[in-house]
Amino acid sequence: MPEHVAGHFEDMEKQAHAARFGMWVFLGTEILFFSGLFALYIGYRVEHPRGFDVGVEHNTLVYGSVNTAVLLVSSYFVALGVHELRLGRNRLSAWLVGITILLGLAFLGIKTAEYLHHFSEGIYPGGSGRFFEEHRDPGLKMFFTLYFCMTGLHAIHVLVGCGVLAFLLYKVATRSIGAWAPHPLAIGAIYWHLIDVIWIFLWPLFYLVTGRVR
Amino acid sequence: MREPTPRALLLTLVALLVLAGVSLAFRFAHLGDFGFAVALGIAAIKAVLVGLVFMEITVEKPTVRFAFAACLSLFALMIALLVADIVTRSPPPLGTPPGTEARYKG
Amino acid sequence: MTTVDIAVPVPARRPAPRESYLNVAHTVKSWALTTDHKRIGILYLVTTILGMALGGVFALVLRTEHLSPGPTIVDAYTYNRLFTMHGITMVWLFMIPSIPTAFGNFLLPIMIGAKDVAFPRLNLLSYYIYLLGSIWVLIALWAGGCDTGWTFYAPYSTHSPSAVVPTVFGIFILGWSTIITGVNFIVTIHTMRAKGLGWFRMPLFVWAMYGVSIIQTLATPVLAISLLVVGIDHWFDWGLFDPARGGDPVLYQHLFWFYSHPAVYIMILPAMGVIIEVVCTFSHKNPASYKAIAYSTLGIAFVGFATWGHHMFVAGISVFDAAAFGVLSMLVAIFSAIKVFTWVLTMRRGSVVVTTPMLYFFAFLFLFVFGGMTGVAVATQSLDVHWHDTYFVVAHFHFIMVGSTMTAWLAALHYWFPKITGRMYPERLGYVGATLVFSGFFMTFFPQFLLGNAGMPRRYYDYAPRFQPLHVVSTVGAWILGAAMIWTLTYLLVALFRGERAPANPWDSRSYEWLTPSPPPKHNFVREPVFTRDPYDYTVPAEEVHA
Repeated sequence: MPEHVAGHFEDMEKQAHAARFGMWVFLGTEILFFSGLFALYIGYRVEHPRGFDVGVEHNTLVYGSVNTAVLLVSSYFVALGVHELRLGRNRLSAWLVGITILLGLAFLGIKTAEYLHHFSEGIYPGGSGRFFEEHRDPGLKMFFTLYFCMTGLHAIHVLVGCGVLAFLLYKVATRSIGAWAPHPLAIGAIYWHLIDVIWIFLWPLFYLVTGRVR
Repeated sequence: MREPTPRALLLTLVALLVLAGVSLAFRFAHLGDFGFAVALGIAAIKAVLVGLVFMEITVEKPTVRFAFAACLSLFALMIALLVADIVTRSPPPLGTPPGTEARYKG
Repeated sequence: MTTVDIAVPVPARRPAPRESYLNVAHTVKSWALTTDHKRIGILYLVTTILGMALGGVFALVLRTEHLSPGPTIVDAYTYNRLFTMHGITMVWLFMIPSIPTAFGNFLLPIMIGAKDVAFPRLNLLSYYIYLLGSIWVLIALWAGGCDTGWTFYAPYSTHSPSAVVPTVFGIFILGWSTIITGVNFIVTIHTMRAKGLGWFRMPLFVWAMYGVSIIQTLATPVLAISLLVVGIDHWFDWGLFDPARGGDPVLYQHLFWFYSHPAVYIMILPAMGVIIEVVCTFSHKNPASYKAIAYSTLGIAFVGFATWGHHMFVAGISVFDAAAFGVLSMLVAIFSAIKVFTWVLTMRRGSVVVTTPMLYFFAFLFLFVFGGMTGVAVATQSLDVHWHDTYFVVAHFHFIMVGSTMTAWLAALHYWFPKITGRMYPERLGYVGATLVFSGFFMTFFPQFLLGNAGMPRRYYDYAPRFQPLHVVSTVGAWILGAAMIWTLTYLLVALFRGERAPANPWDSRSYEWLTPSPPPKHNFVREPVFTRDPYDYTVPAEEVHA
């Protein structure tokens, strides 16, 4: 059924504005949700600088960097999809959203392979695994525990994002939304972009930043 | 600012990938503590690009932008006072219990 | 000159109103799947009352345990679970939702001249999430409950043998209901005010809903992550706060209190919103300063986020950080003081009518000042060293939570009873109830200040025999308070079916919710409302309202 103006709004523009406002406030809550973990990361980094440096150097840089590129490209595709929907090109928009979802799933696939790689090296969350028997720094244990926590929580959000986009893809494809009411896809896309932004910060913290000078 | 054109979107993607490449390069530059500022600074620029162009935050009314800014300020507040605690701690009067040295960074 | 009047005019019998939101449909489905904010408000009201009753039962049992030192009616492990579940049930199943979800949902759209909230289906979803979270907490209770205290401090929460994971998961779910309600209210207030209704023309209760929505939307996600981390640590033992694995238990407290301090403002701001409405109506006067109330609400909402460390003065934070938090805590008290003076000055030159809600206001005034001043006292680091984790702190926060918030909730229940149900409650029984509530409360909690000051620690099962007399007084007070609540809820329940039919505006108030019949029609107003005057203009007579 095509998107229509709900009874308590004056017109579609007001409804769209309310929906976007609601989504931005919700994004704020998502940032605050992750804030706690970022706060733990920063606090523990101050307490264990060497352990965290060693952790970054031991992390799987290639996996992480490829994933960064994957998410950036996926953001591009969904943004383009919103643009096309505003012009009424539902079919093209649907394809673009579909590519975004595939890239999201690719991210998850690469992440899974990466976790399996960690496990094969004996790196498990909670400081268990043979890697930590060889490297005893408690800070190193905390680094990898936070790594699994934060990238794991992020991956769950990627999965949820794929689900949201899949639902919106259906609406685009069945012409439930379109040029007269593109905002549902726009707000879904904003959610996807936030997931990208969170990764933009996770990547340097877990793969790039080491305070050591060789 | 109106909604971005496909050209603007593509240019933004290219800029984001280039910036990612730059921070990757800096990973091997061994800048010590300065590396933090570089990596997080580049990340912030990327985040701003995504926010301005992809997320079209400039199209939103000022209230929305203020609301979002309030969330970011709260995050900053959390970090500031939490880190302030850790870096200004001094060891307990009777000496640091074994295994807790990390906590007393002050 | 201020006049005070005790007699309340009895309204003449009125015929039953025509169609209203209550009688427009009677099926279970019409209630279970309603998107009408008024019905959702009632669903929340009933469920939060059940939450309060459960929390109250825990309180009565643990107070009875304290009649004598050593074992009295339960063992130590059970006692620990009782005070934990009492805190959890009261805070999350009752206090936080109580006023916003029941009265906020019901009144907010009416007060701004809207037909509903911005996202009515999300509103219904928020109720079901709240219900699911509450049921989960009950499941955790059935699994034995949690014994860590409502604060879940690491490292004990990681190793406790009690039902930590189901408990935190239930609260985690409840949190999302709070966030959705907050988002809904913020967007509603911004985008759905009637034409011409500027920010400084809204009833002040709406400002309170706005302030609380800001806090609950921004703070609750941090609770969610704190609980998630406790759950992960307990289930998987990842050692996020285990020093042997790089952890620091104090960081848990930073995360937890970053939410939980703003949470106490979530609990008090709506109460303050009720109070200003009650004071203005029953003084027949406009507020001494509208902007003082509005801006102090925002002040509490924002500055309240910066004070969390005052719960951690003796936890091991640095002296510098503690000092910073001490100063910030003093700042936030200023806004509450501004409100207290404004409420009192509002009564000046008014014609005060002492109804049950007004009695509750008087109780609130006394108890809130007491509670607030002792709050400033414990925010003083050097004093808190002695009072932290004693009954002094317990008394302080109960003076605010019960003495202030619950008292204001009772005021709201009576004040808006005619609007919500279309019936009047029995005034004399209300006077008795209010007196009993106040007496029971004071008898329960005032001795606890003395106990704490004398050194009685909180969360202790056993105590030295010299503390017994004060404990006995406190327990007797608790039973009186419990009886008072049963008394009140009983006559309200009876009034629901047998009370006098209420007119649209029984209190001769000027606030906007009284411009519609009691109870309101399904779409809130008979005609599109146009607010031509401000909500506290007592210089003009109240309008006639036609059903």
